[in-house]
Amino acid sequence: MQRRDFLQAFGSATALAPLLVAGLLRPGAALAMSFNRAAFDAKTASDALRLIGAASAEASRDILLKAPEVAENGAAVPIEVISSIPGTTRLSVLIDKNPLPLALQFNFAPEAAARFQAKLRMAESSRLRVVATAGGKHYSVFREVKVTVGGCGD
Amino acid sequence: MSEPIKIRATVKGSEGEVRVLMPHPMESGLRRDASGQLQAAQYITSVTLSLNGRPVIEGALGTAVSANPLFAFQLLGVKAGDKVSVAWLDNKGQKGSAETSFAAG
Repeated sequence: MQRRDFLQAFGSATALAPLLVAGLLRPGAALAMSFNRAAFDAKTASDALRLIGAASAEASRDILLKAPEVAENGAAVPIEVISSIPGTTRLSVLIDKNPLPLALQFNFAPEAAARFQAKLRMAESSRLRVVATAGGKHYSVFREVKVTVGGCGD
Repeated sequence: MSEPIKIRATVKGSEGEVRVLMPHPMESGLRRDASGQLQAAQYITSVTLSLNGRPVIEGALGTAVSANPLFAFQLLGVKAGDKVSVAWLDNKGQKGSAETSFAAG
């Protein structure tokens, strides 16, 4: 009788396992949503901003964008972005004067800090723009970067 | 792309830092070779960073990311021994992935 109880308990635990796995996978599924390749094909920053839904992003002092004032090599401009806006779930980077301005987007689960470092190509001197998405609202910060040698064509 | 991904993960307290270098040409489709031929675009379009098998950061990349993309991220509530992995996919369907464990830093 005891053995049967044990087996039944084990059986129900086994039945629950797929649900647990489904639960564990849910944050990933939520992360994967709503990336939008069309925005990456946009030729102007205003189109790209519109396509990522951030046309009316509000200027914010709570996003840190570290980038060199003068970049000697446009092929690899180091940037660091840190959002201290609570609940930031996405960071997007645009380079206004690049042929394709939207450079990248990252989605963050709660286990990840809304920050990253990356190296980007800049075709010419341009405004560098970061959009943070938090609670369905968009916030932005920008910085001008002078590029000595462009990094897109060669 | 034939070179292996470099991934390094260190933890201090409960904050983990992950640095990833993914060898990839990130051809923008705008570059010409010596004979003036446009090089076809081939670039990583998506990157996923997973902690103990669960995706925690997902990225969509464009052609403005430099060749051999190098990223640094910070994960919260991690401990030494937790597994972190990265996987990428490019616009031609090629893939790469690598995994490591957090080491006390």
